[in-house]
Amino acid sequence: MQNTVKAADQAPRKPKLIRTAAPYLRDSKSSIRRIMYDVILALLPVVAFSFYRLGWLSVSYVVVSMISIVGTEFLYYYLQKKRFTLDNGTAVISALIYAMIIPEVTPLWVVFVGGVVGVFVAKLAFGGLGANIFNIAGFARVFVGLSFGGWLGYEKYTDALSGATVLGVLNQNLNVDAVANVDLWTMFSGLNMPGSVGETSALLILLGGFYMLVRRSFDWRIPLTYIASFAFMALVAALAGGADLMYVPIQVFSGGMLFGAIYMATDPVSAPTTMPGKVYYAFGIGSLNFLIRLFGALPEGTVFSILIMNMFVPMLDYYRWATPKFSVRSLIIFGIVIASVAGLIAVGVSG
Amino acid sequence: MKKTRTIDAHDVPYSLPMIPIDAPEVVYITLGELRTKSYTLNVQEGDQVYLGTQLGTLDGGYFIQPVFSTVSGTVGKIVKKFIYSGKVAEVLEIHNDFKDTFDPRKTDLSEAQISALTREEIIELAKNNAVKGLGGAGFPTYIKFQTNDPIETLIINGVECEPFLSSDARAILEETVQIFKGIELGLKASGAKKAIFGIKKKHKELIAKLEKVKKEQFPNLPLTIHQTDNIYPQGWENALIRSALGLNIPPRTLLSKYGVVVLNATTIYALYQAVRFNLPIYERYFTMAGDAFTNNGMLKVRVGEIVPRLIKAVGGFNTEEDRILIMGGPMTGANLLLEDGVVSMTVGSLVGLVNHEWIEEPCIRCSACVYSCPVDLQPVNIMNATKNKDHDAVAALNVDKCIECGLCSYVCPSKIHVTDYMRKGKKLL
Repeated sequence: MQNTVKAADQAPRKPKLIRTAAPYLRDSKSSIRRIMYDVILALLPVVAFSFYRLGWLSVSYVVVSMISIVGTEFLYYYLQKKRFTLDNGTAVISALIYAMIIPEVTPLWVVFVGGVVGVFVAKLAFGGLGANIFNIAGFARVFVGLSFGGWLGYEKYTDALSGATVLGVLNQNLNVDAVANVDLWTMFSGLNMPGSVGETSALLILLGGFYMLVRRSFDWRIPLTYIASFAFMALVAALAGGADLMYVPIQVFSGGMLFGAIYMATDPVSAPTTMPGKVYYAFGIGSLNFLIRLFGALPEGTVFSILIMNMFVPMLDYYRWATPKFSVRSLIIFGIVIASVAGLIAVGVSG
Repeated sequence: MKKTRTIDAHDVPYSLPMIPIDAPEVVYITLGELRTKSYTLNVQEGDQVYLGTQLGTLDGGYFIQPVFSTVSGTVGKIVKKFIYSGKVAEVLEIHNDFKDTFDPRKTDLSEAQISALTREEIIELAKNNAVKGLGGAGFPTYIKFQTNDPIETLIINGVECEPFLSSDARAILEETVQIFKGIELGLKASGAKKAIFGIKKKHKELIAKLEKVKKEQFPNLPLTIHQTDNIYPQGWENALIRSALGLNIPPRTLLSKYGVVVLNATTIYALYQAVRFNLPIYERYFTMAGDAFTNNGMLKVRVGEIVPRLIKAVGGFNTEEDRILIMGGPMTGANLLLEDGVVSMTVGSLVGLVNHEWIEEPCIRCSACVYSCPVDLQPVNIMNATKNKDHDAVAALNVDKCIECGLCSYVCPSKIHVTDYMRKGKKLL
């Protein structure tokens, strides 16, 4: 082996004309790394805020989820002797998001187990980056929630530790007065708000979203449609239930909805590829999220609604249905769907 | 969408002085072109020919096209060289005597004679002087003129959307008056009532020049100058028509059915030269571009020039690394595997790029390809269907509409060669 290298060094290497196919230019500015590092950068304010709010608890969550998710992916590819894939940053993103969406009462070993199972089952078993059907962090969060529910139960801990969450109260009835002691700035900034580790500061989440928008690192149609459809459904509910209109911003700025809209639903791998598909997908998440909050047993529905819509992505991308542009027919059908979901909510709330 | 279709590469500055190149000793006239199947030669080895002498005829099935000598001298052998399609084809040597004697049988027409020409006579002159799509397609122009459909609009394509390329821009800058006279002829030959000159917004200098010449010398010409976005592939004729007229013409339909004829700016110049001097294009503005060449710039190149001499004219390669040599533009041009290439009439550029080994990552379904596709396809889904050999899906996703502009590969953040999958997908049909 060494001899051949030496021989090659001695003979002056003659430059070759490469055989390749058009186009010969590639956009050197766009790369997976750039997109993923942007997402990490956009996540940093949220992470820093969680450090500030929860201190070492949050630090330990981030460290443990890094070890479990990044470590598992590293080990998996190391043992398979495949190309090192951590450099594109997707595992780090999953780890950071996962650390941000677990409730702040979860034991560290549960975080660890959830991370390992999440990345292994949702990502590596499907074939790694680009092949996963589900949002990895979301899958890990749901796995933890379902398998270790007792360790992080809302009733058990939220009441004792941080008082009733806004959502817990809101979901029981549409009475805004019940949460009148929470002013909007508190909810928007996330200061002194109970909730999951990193989901509470709408301000910083929107800041991260704005950064990714400027850098064009995510598709703005998804968070916009998600938040808009969620707010629209909340408005319908408020109007039908005769609640104060403050109900809408309170719903929007509480819980993990914004975090999910900006950082999780926009995961390109588990989202449809066409523009109308993305809009339907985000509408599905937004309205499902609100339906779960309003009628479901869970106080929060973000992760579940994202995972449910993840399952519909192959359908939205199905070649007989997917079109890169809206047609009049598809807009009419979409309008009917929106109207029926709104009608369902109106009937459910008033009835 | 506009942003994803913007290619961030600088064009070769078209207004700088030309890079000098001395007259070639031998020119090679392409005989086996892409669109033609067979040829007949009127000359034999050793014959004396002049600049503009017809050497023979190419037969393309539904059309014929004469070929001409682009120097005066003696006919040599038939040899094989790479032509603009990147394939090997037969070419005819002509040994240059450096006198550039024009063929005495070819007669000029005066301005008065030109204005007296009928539509049929102009078409005949275009046919006899091999006027064809000089943007690269090489489609014979007389066929476009001979249509039975009523032509409403003549569009002059001066967009030249591929990065680096500036040959048309230079031609517009240098030969503005001739191009305007060519437009007059084009209007007459096609029967169109108005003409639209499509040009990129960023070419302020050219737009100013066109406006000035129109105002001063051709105030009655029914011509409007249409400024297009600086995006790729704006120079694709359907994209230009959409921008200029708002018509959405599906790919692979005859433009004449919509009352439109699109001619490249250099083709319009060729039409003028064919009518005025009874001569084919024997010289053209030529772009030498790319980071592998020592210099980038414009040349005036004799048709039949060989690639090694062009590379020498710009100072050779500046790198010892592997390189990619492209005949045509960097997005759709043909890959040359040897330097042994020949410039034919339709080639306006040679690009040399330092080979960059892109690392292909998995597709993250970011839909950059879907958003940038100028024909509204879903390249990523076509790619997956092609990988799965799913014939139905490939067909249903309209892969046959793909114009292979290369934008999907260009924008892909994972550096996947999406366009190549489109080509494979077409083969599955």
